[in-house]
This record gives sequence, C-alpha cells and structure tokens, in this order.
Amino acid sequence: MPQTVIYPARRIITMNAHQPFATHVAVREGRVLGVGSLAELEGWGPYELDRRFESLVLMPGFVEGHSHAFEGGVWSFPYVGFFDRRSPDGSVSPGLKDIGSVVARLRDIERGMKASDEPLLAWGFDPIYFGGRRMNVADLDNVSTDRPVLVIHSNFHVLNVNSVVLRKAGIDHSTNVHGIVKDAAGKPTGELQEIAAKYMAYRASGINLAEALSDEAAVWRFARVAQLAGVTTATDLHNELPESTVSGYLQATARDDFPIRLLPAFGAISLPVEEGVAKLRALLPRNNNKLRFGLVKIITDGSIQGLSARMRWPGYYNGLPNGVWNTGPDEIDRLLQAYHDAGFQVHIHTNGDEASEVAIEAVERALLRTPRRDHRHTLQHCQMADAAQFRRMAALGICVNLFANHLFYWGDIHYAQTLGPERANRMDACGTALRTGVPFAIHCDAPVTPIGPLFTAWCAVNRLTASGRTLGDSEKISVADALRAVTLGAAHTLKLDHEVGSIEIGKRADFAVLHDDPLAVPPEALKDVRVWGTVLGGCIFPSPDS
Amino acid sequence: MRRLPFTVIGGFLGAGKTTLLNRLLRATTGRHFAVLVNDFGAVDIDSRLVVAHGGDTISLANGCICCSIGDSLVLALVRVLEKADRIDHVVVEASGVADPARIAELALIEPMLERDGVLVLADAASVREREADRYVGDTVRRQLDGADLLILNKVDLVTAAERADLLVWLEDRATSARIVTAVDADVPIEALFGVGPQDRPAVPGSGEPPFRRWSLTTRQTVDRAALLDALRALPSSVLRAKGILRFADAPLERSVVQMVGRRIDVRGEGPWGIADLRSDLVLLGTPDMPDDATLEALFSACRREPAAPPVQR
Ligand SMILES: [Zn+2]
Ligand SMILES: [Zn+2]
Repeated sequence: MPQTVIYPARRIITMNAHQPFATHVAVREGRVLGVGSLAELEGWGPYELDRRFESLVLMPGFVEGHSHAFEGGVWSFPYVGFFDRRSPDGSVSPGLKDIGSVVARLRDIERGMKASDEPLLAWGFDPIYFGGRRMNVADLDNVSTDRPVLVIHSNFHVLNVNSVVLRKAGIDHSTNVHGIVKDAAGKPTGELQEIAAKYMAYRASGINLAEALSDEAAVWRFARVAQLAGVTTATDLHNELPESTVSGYLQATARDDFPIRLLPAFGAISLPVEEGVAKLRALLPRNNNKLRFGLVKIITDGSIQGLSARMRWPGYYNGLPNGVWNTGPDEIDRLLQAYHDAGFQVHIHTNGDEASEVAIEAVERALLRTPRRDHRHTLQHCQMADAAQFRRMAALGICVNLFANHLFYWGDIHYAQTLGPERANRMDACGTALRTGVPFAIHCDAPVTPIGPLFTAWCAVNRLTASGRTLGDSEKISVADALRAVTLGAAHTLKLDHEVGSIEIGKRADFAVLHDDPLAVPPEALKDVRVWGTVLGGCIFPSPDS
Repeated sequence: MRRLPFTVIGGFLGAGKTTLLNRLLRATTGRHFAVLVNDFGAVDIDSRLVVAHGGDTISLANGCICCSIGDSLVLALVRVLEKADRIDHVVVEASGVADPARIAELALIEPMLERDGVLVLADAASVREREADRYVGDTVRRQLDGADLLILNKVDLVTAAERADLLVWLEDRATSARIVTAVDADVPIEALFGVGPQDRPAVPGSGEPPFRRWSLTTRQTVDRAALLDALRALPSSVLRAKGILRFADAPLERSVVQMVGRRIDVRGEGPWGIADLRSDLVLLGTPDMPDDATLEALFSACRREPAAPPVQR
C-alpha cells in the first residue's frame, strides 16, 4: 500500500471554493489525497503524521505564468540593481542606491578577475531612481580602462559601456547611430540603446553570453530562484527550443531534486510554421511530470518604457512616435491561425493597446475560420487595454496575464512620460478583468523584474509606484483575488488548472509554505509575507534559511 | 583592416525580398556573400549547389553561405562575423516590419563592417494600400524613407498609367533614394551589390539581366564639389558609384567615394604611398544608364589642371 502522509498546518488556504480553508492535507503518490480535518482524512487508512508545517500556512504552490529561464542565466553575472534581489543560492544581493556604489561594487569584482581582456558584464542597473543622473563612460572607466565593462539595464534594452568598448567599436563623436546617446558637446556618453545595445553586449562578450544565458546550470538557477519565492510551476515564455535546450530541460526535470514544473513556450518566429507545428508535436511525447511543451509564443510589439509599444491614438504622452512591430499584423494572423488550427495554445505578447487590438482581431478571425472551444489564447502583458477590449476578450474566450509588477517599477515613468495620468491609472487593469469576466493572471516577466508572486499580488492589490503614488483605485483587487491570480488564475491561463493551482483532492501536492498568513496581514504588507519553502509533488523544498 | 560591405534588404511582407535573395545566392559573381535570411525554408537553392548543410547554415558551391536569423538578428550577425575570413560581403534580409536603415547602422559600430546600401523593395500592386493601412502605414513609410535604393517590384501587375503614378508618388515620398522598377525582383545583381567585372569569373550566358558599367580615369585632380554635383545629377538608372579619387583640395590623400542609390559617402583613406597618382571612378547601373558621351560630358567639369607635384614625406 502506498504511503500516506498527513500534514497539519496552522491554516491551509486551498483556493477551492467548496472548502476554502482547512487544517490538514493528506498526500499520497505526490498528489493530494484529501483536505479537511484529521478526523475526515483518517478514513483513507494508515498514515504518517508529519508535523513540520504545524505552525506554518499552506497555499497552492504559486504559478508564474510569464517568466523566462533567462533569469537563471543572468545570475552568472553580477547584479547591480537598485532594489535588493534574491539570488539562486538564497542570499540577498543588496540594492545599490547610487552610481558610486555600482562603480565600487564593479571595481571589487574587477580586482578578482584574472585575464585582463575578459569582459566584465553586469545587469539589473536602473538609473531612473537616481534623480536624473545617468551613468557615463568616466564612471565605468573608474572600474577598468583595460577590459571591456558593460552594464545592462534592468529593462534589458539599454547598456552602459566604458571607453574600452567604445574604442573597440570605433564609436566617437562622428558616429551617428540611433541609440548611441551623446552629451551636449556631441561626445558619446557610453549609453547605448535598443539594437545598438543588444549588438554590443553580444559582440563584446562573444557567443559566451548566449550560452551562459541558456545552459543547463541556468535552468537550475532559475528553478531555485522561483522555488525560493514559493513558485512550483513557472513558464519559460519564449524559447527557440534548440535540441541542446530541450535535452538540458529533459535532464534537469528528470531529477527528483529539480524544484519546479517548467513550461517552455516555443517562439513561433523561430521556424516556418509547418516546421514549428511539427517540432512542437514531436516534443509533446517527451513531456514529463515536470516539463510541459505545447505553449506557443508570438511577440507583437516592443515595450512601453522602451517607447517601442504599438499604441492607438493619441499615442505617447510625451509626443514621441509610435513604437515598432516585432511581428506585423499579417504575420501574426498567419502564425496564430496555424498554431490555432493545430490545436495549440498561443500566448501573445502585447504591450500597447494597438498591439492588443491586432491580437484580439487575429483571434477573432482564427475562430471564424476554425471554431474552437476553450482555446485559452492569452494576451501577455496587455498593459494598456481598455474596458471595451476586455469585453471583447471575454466574448472571444481570450485570457489575459497582466504585468502587475510594472505598476511599481515603471508606474512613475508611465504617469509622467509615456502614458500620462489617465492611462497610467488604468494600466494592468485587474479590476476590469475581474468585472468583465476575463480569466486573468498577473506576472513578473523575470528577469525584467524579480520573480515573487506575493510581491506581484501586492502590486495588483495596492497599485503603488516606486515613489508611492497610487495608480487608479478602481483597478485595485482584493488580496483574495490577487492570491487566486497567482495560483488558480495563472494555472487556468496555462491549461493546468485541473492539475495545479488549488489544494484539492486528486491534484498535485504542490504547496507554497508560508510563515505568515497572507489573508491575515494588512494588504500593504502582503509583499513582506515570508516564504518557508515549497512542496512539489510531495517532495519538500525548504529555503536555505528555513 | 579589410571591411566587409554590409547591405540590408528591406520591404514589407510579399515585396519580393526572398526572390531577390534567391537571385543573389544563385548568381556566380565571384564574391562570397553571407546572406542572413528570416525563413530558411523560403530559400530556393538548387540542392546540387549545396556543399554543406549544418544546422542554421548552408554553404554553397559558389562560396556563398546562407544563415538563418532565427529570433535574434544581432546574434546571427555576431556568429557570421566569426567566419569573416571566408566571406566578402554580408547581406541581411530585414523582417517585413523592421526598419532596414536602423539595421544598416550596425555597420557604423562594427569595425569589421562597412555600411553599403539599404535596398528596399516595394510591391507595385499593394504598396499604396499598405502605406495607408492604420496598423502598418507608418512602418511602410519608415522603410521607404530609409532606402538608398528602392526597387519598385512586380510592375507587371499594374497598368502603365498606374506605374507612372506610383513612380511620381514614390519619388515624392523617398526623396533620398534612387528608384528602379522590376518584375520578379529581376535586377542586375552586379550593379545592385557593387560587384565589378573584375570580381566576376567568366561565366558566359549566366542568365542574369544585363547591367552597364562606365568608368573614368584621369591624372588630373578632381574638383570635390563638381564631382558631388555630377553624382547627384545622375538619373535613377545609375545604381551605384565607387571611386578612389585625388581631390584638388586634398591631393595628398586617397579619397574614397561610394554612392549607393542617392546616398554618397566620402572618406579619406590616408596617403597615396606608392600607388599611382590617378583618379578612378566606376558607375554601375541598368541598361538604361546614359550613354558614354553623356556621362563623359557630365563629369568633364570635375577635372582640374594638375596641381603642383605633391611633397612626399
Ligand atoms: Zn513580453
Ligand atoms: Zn517576457
């Protein structure tokens, strides 16, 4: 007879409407055998009583519906961001509060490096909190004038470099290239943006960067960072899925100690559609308990803060021209139709409201040609959608995953520069999603912002920016709704709500184990709820400090 | 250091970019092109020409390689430059919604590359409609605005009157480009990519559309302003020009002049050293290019009396 373990807990928040709270959960064969009181569970037969969670709170393991395994990749480079950030080993990389501290930190690292021409690459930098002061060449020349030094901003679209990089690339006052920032005297400041930034990062660091970002160690680091935040299921929401990555994912997820369930989304642009559909079909039989192929990703536009989002009239608040398509409307139609017809679920990145409109229309057309129930195509980010777009999404069966963390990290910029007050106040409209009945999740888009569903839920509940401004009271949601969004809500957008997302008989024994009760703390303190660790399919993963 | 010419081909979905690339890959120009394409499957190469097919690269018997961009153009480009010793020229197929002029700027921050031309194709049957589209109109306008050479393709699909209208409209729109018309992207590859006859092995009757070449050689110095004026005055049938010149205002320096479409770059390349003190200019274009006498007359104003012999240091 298989073993049964019953865990008493201070409180179990189940996300199951029939039985929202309980004191005991029974686990057998990695699944939930029952939820209730000890007396109710004893009827299942002999059991072992494990009291380790007695003083702790259990929730369904958090589901991160939009993250990238790339989060694990960037941790092979030093983090120099403004906010504290938890690293895969559980330690906290402290936030650096001015440019001097960033330089000092990099200088320390530089001293420990051997080969003098090996580039020093750091990430997570964000100058928007430094009162207008930008980083420049002189700052990074203080780190080294021998080796290339590159600092990637937290948005991954901007880069600061030292004079070594500029010299090697032949960039000087005479270089007239979009994205190369110059000072009043016409000298390059060392800040590069968009395609110039991306090119220089790869060029200076060689192919190693691409490899470091996607090797097997990276997916382990990603899983650990996720697990430390209470996550048991996470997406890698855009991947070309070359065989090297596929086999790395298969090897990692075959191990009992791999702490999350991983859902990679195939980047539809990587292959011609017929080949892409065939590739994905061939991957399905390789799925295991912790690895699910089958999601598809289409990227339509850029980002709002990068001024590359496709916006409807009247466009950017600061009057700058409309953004750019990554995939044009015709191509979106073609890709979506092919994967829709083949029965796959498609996740569509749309930041601006014009991109959302094009995506909604594409789904509408795909459904006219090939009616399909319960497709659950999901708009990812969908930051600017208005109520009419949400009503249309509801009617078409489209789900949404809103970028709640944006409210905190870029809300002030959106209010003052990109969107203006009115649209900033209704951005990432969880309240509207709830009112119009669009199934929704909320996300972090790690590594763009740190993975941490409790923080993401806090953003959706409080809608506070980094400077403390509240963006739109009417779009706030309750703590209970936000907790649902990071569990069952996200599971729904991944078509996994029958397996995970609630603690319920028959579902997987995936739990987030918390020191504090998120429903009992003040809503403002939701982000401070401490995570003890997780349980994944009955296996216990405490965080190092638990 | 040897710099590889860097050409970007842009244009909206269906404008004929892949057709043009297929022509380029099939051509035997004697120059080894590395061609970065969006859709590997759309590249229509005779399998007998393929010498190696590995992952995201196909090597051809004519020395060209074809590489898949996948989802990161910059990464694909970095990878291609690792093979720089095996190639002479890099060509990128921009995606249908990309701004090819922005991509061409990568050559300005990559010392291994030299910005060549931005070639933009427009589908004669649909470009006006695209340009008026609420979602992609601005994307199409950015592409046309950034072109050095504009290929109005598929002109067989429109009437003569429509074609004339289109040309007027395009000339108005793309003031910085030269415009050629084509059917099936059938344009002289040699003239388009600046492959001189010296690069071209003797392959009689290779089926490529004919192109014309005109050259000027003089031992007189050249007047810079007059030369630039003459280049600007050339009709659209002249697709490109390249020259190594001895300007009257800089007789000690080799000046390199390159024109692709309407874009003209002039840069100094240091002293003459042991090189022959003479100026050479080559024009490449379609068969409609003005005749020799007309060109001779146009450029005659550039010649200046020989300057005093330069002091050699
Ligand atoms: Zn995205
Ligand atoms: Zn993302």
